Amino acid sequence: MQTILNFLIKHNHWFLFILLEGISFMLIVRFNNYQGATFFTAANGAVGGLYSAIANVDTYFGLQDENESLLAHNRELVEENALLRNRIAELKSREALFTDSVVQQIGAGYNFHTAAIVSGNSGAGNNFYVINKGAHDGIKSEMGVFNSKGVVGIIYQSSTHYSLVLPLLNSKSRTSCKVRGDNTSSILQWDGKDTRYSHLVDLPRHTRIAKGDTVVTSGHSAIFPEEIPIGVIDKIEDSADGMFYLARVELFVNFSTLSSVFIVAKDGYEEQKELERKITKE
Amino acid sequence: MTAIYLIRLRDFVLFTLVQVLIFAHIHLFGYATACIALIFLLKLPRHTSRNELLVWGFLMGLVIDVFGNTPGIHAAATCALAFVRNMVLERFIPKGFADDLVPGVKSIKAGRYISYSSVCVLLFYIVLYLLELFTVHYPLPLLIGASLSTLLTMLFIIVAEFFTRK
Repeated sequence: MQTILNFLIKHNHWFLFILLEGISFMLIVRFNNYQGATFFTAANGAVGGLYSAIANVDTYFGLQDENESLLAHNRELVEENALLRNRIAELKSREALFTDSVVQQIGAGYNFHTAAIVSGNSGAGNNFYVINKGAHDGIKSEMGVFNSKGVVGIIYQSSTHYSLVLPLLNSKSRTSCKVRGDNTSSILQWDGKDTRYSHLVDLPRHTRIAKGDTVVTSGHSAIFPEEIPIGVIDKIEDSADGMFYLARVELFVNFSTLSSVFIVAKDGYEEQKELERKITKE
Repeated sequence: MTAIYLIRLRDFVLFTLVQVLIFAHIHLFGYATACIALIFLLKLPRHTSRNELLVWGFLMGLVIDVFGNTPGIHAAATCALAFVRNMVLERFIPKGFADDLVPGVKSIKAGRYISYSSVCVLLFYIVLYLLELFTVHYPLPLLIGASLSTLLTMLFIIVAEFFTRK
């Protein structure tokens, strides 16, 4: 203590010097515009630098939270990414739809939707498929379902977000069709056996059909537009009663690998249905 | 004792007034100014305490500042000079000189006096210009100003020696 005191007394001129210089400096920065501005600008800069240095150090303590929020954000982005991928795939398929030759020949007057097969089976018996579009997306029963190869079936029922597709491979399916070239109308019906083939059941015997003729939709039913391919005639036999031909049709659509489909609805479909209903009532 | 301080006070007022009324208005080449008031600090006796030097120096700088409207700048520079004056003086005078020695051409020879004065004055001006420019980014104007002002001031200090009594 004594030593410190002695030291302070011995060097008291230092304190006086620092005091006087301090006063001078205060006067300088307080009463001289230029020096004051320079000093306070520099001081602000220094304080700013100090703050940023502190913030720099501070950042490390927040890294835990930062990490968590980044992870959360990352997860959100991944989800969003997945969503966008789906959307892109959907849009691409929609684009493909319009560049597709099958669709191109349909022309105007129809609305298209795309959908993915959610569940279903393609085997012997009565098949059904479930697609991921429903009434919410504008899908109604008796809309046509096809893919880039050809006809798949029709919408049987639709709930809010899903729809049931009655494919060609169902014995309840009756598809109005015609043989290209000859323009003979006929009905396509499945015998419930082989998933690769279906049959034209009531071909009159006077028709000139041959093996290799293409079967397409007739366009009478308002479900499908005209000229959507269905398959090619593979074998011509006589029907059981011998009154008609029974033509086996090799289907274009490979039902065992079916994954995404187009749904087509004719503009003014409701109107046509309404009119047809009136006729049947009278 | 009181008489000594009265004489010092008189000298202080005299030097300071001459400085602020006449010499403060001399600006040679746009750079050089002369600060003859420093003579008062340079010529205080050898045994003057640092504290006393500091107080005289501070007051003198303050008065010059008040008249020159440069608050604090001269005060800081004169304080710096007052603080180092004794150390510089001890460097230039050999042993055996009296404690109450008043530095001057006659007492310590012209060479020593001029060296001692120039070091002090140069230091004063370096501090002064540093505070006036308030930056270290332009050392050239600072050095030119400090050197020219020191030369000019030294000229007056030497001239003043011829008028010293005794």
